[in-house]
Amino acid sequence: MGSAADIAQQIAKGTRSAAAVLKECKALIEARDSDLNCFTAKTFQRAEREAAGIDDLHAEGKALPPLAGVPYAVKNLFDVEGMVTHAGAKINADNAPAAADATIVARMSRAGAVLVGALNMEELAYGFLTENHHYGITRNPHDRTRGAGGSSGGSAAAVGAGMLPIALGSDTSGSIRVPASLCGVFGLKPTYGRLPRSGTYPFVNSLDHVGPFANSVLGLALSYDAMQGPDSADPACAQRAIEPVGVPLSLPRGIHIGILGGWFHEWAGPAARRSVQLAAAALGATEWTELKSAEVARAAAYIITGAEGGALHRPRLIEQYEDFGPASRSRLVAGGLIPASWVIQAQRVRRLAYSQALELFERFDLLIAAAAPAVAPRVGQETLLINGRSIPTKAGLGVLTQPISCIGLPVCTVPVWPGEGDSPAERALPVGVQLIGAPWREDLCLAAARALERAGIAEVRAPPSAL
Amino acid sequence: MMAESHDNPLEAYVRAALTLQGYAFDEAEIAEIVMQFSRLETIARTVFDWPLPFASAPAPVFRP
Repeated sequence: MGSAADIAQQIAKGTRSAAAVLKECKALIEARDSDLNCFTAKTFQRAEREAAGIDDLHAEGKALPPLAGVPYAVKNLFDVEGMVTHAGAKINADNAPAAADATIVARMSRAGAVLVGALNMEELAYGFLTENHHYGITRNPHDRTRGAGGSSGGSAAAVGAGMLPIALGSDTSGSIRVPASLCGVFGLKPTYGRLPRSGTYPFVNSLDHVGPFANSVLGLALSYDAMQGPDSADPACAQRAIEPVGVPLSLPRGIHIGILGGWFHEWAGPAARRSVQLAAAALGATEWTELKSAEVARAAAYIITGAEGGALHRPRLIEQYEDFGPASRSRLVAGGLIPASWVIQAQRVRRLAYSQALELFERFDLLIAAAAPAVAPRVGQETLLINGRSIPTKAGLGVLTQPISCIGLPVCTVPVWPGEGDSPAERALPVGVQLIGAPWREDLCLAAARALERAGIAEVRAPPSAL
Repeated sequence: MMAESHDNPLEAYVRAALTLQGYAFDEAEIAEIVMQFSRLETIARTVFDWPLPFASAPAPVFRP
């Protein structure tokens, strides 16, 4: 199908129509989604209207918006006008359809993008798998015996399978970065408060972020720029002007990049370490450093997540407990019992961890670390074995992402193919690398991602022909 | 079962907090929730063991 930038350029030049791109996209979805279970709904009628609108603009000789005719889909916690927002949960199935698009969906439409559907996710965004009790398992496009990761698994897998050039997701503790890593695609978790969440189904308000997945860095950049801007409807959204990263993305000379050791090295298995090594070498990063509060920041994120998530869903847990999936309901109830003193302590830790990270950014412009401890686990795999230590898969997949989202730093995850593993199947799988910036420096994260893409270190690979 | 929970402060806390918050579960469900809360308590220990300056403020959440 091509990248978002290529599609928009071809449509602007008239070498391809939006209708033709949409037809190709629909054919790919029809051919590939039955194996992977990425989509929970398709919005083809809307897509045809939007594509026709782009082709009309072109026929009238008018300037086209930056994402003109580019197909995309959204995690099913984004409001889409006329559709029920499920957030992966049965408890929402009887809700009224959304009266309007979520703010960033509306902004994507204004930028000319064509919405083709809603995507599967972990129930209520609570977990790093997409093994949804109600809507099924989303499988990995590079190995269908393995999972896509989560909670935005449908988004990552649909891009990884070549069905879409762009998808939207959310990230509370790693839900963009983990599935991007496992499915081999680019993902951007912006600074906390950069992109508005109005019209999205909440999970943990003080940690929730939204952002794009893409099959190219320019696709991430184009969609990120289209979605930026203040929004008074989201109290956490920073009321700051749009700071477009634009294209082309160039890494400034003399940039200083640190490799995160300590916690991030201990919990990176051999394939994850190799991914970091490849990225570091390509970026000229040689100096190791440490975020000393990483472990405690992860623990703080756990406590805050449990408390806020449990409190949010308490009324429905009381009345509809059986309608929640077995993997989430007891965790949500338990989280709702967390004492206030634990939460206050976690928020104090969070501020301290943030201060320590800012000190690191006095020495470094960017930090790099693996995005997941290992390649995609098999569906149903209970534990991960990382450097001789066993950790439950459900919690362990986020071990390297939670400390960063806890303090809201921007991260671009890039797909790296380390070629490490015990079997040919494992050696064919990606492990992503996090490019972590200081607050509001998404531009540097994306520029470093682009440098890795140009160097051939980070790339989205076509899924096996068996698809 | 209730009498036994007095020997386990964590279980006693969970039972009391469930009642206070309006939940009513059978014993199997309570056991599952106790197990989940125990995991959270283990993680919370990391947070409590971390040395913090006395006057350190929580991260802000509310934005007027």
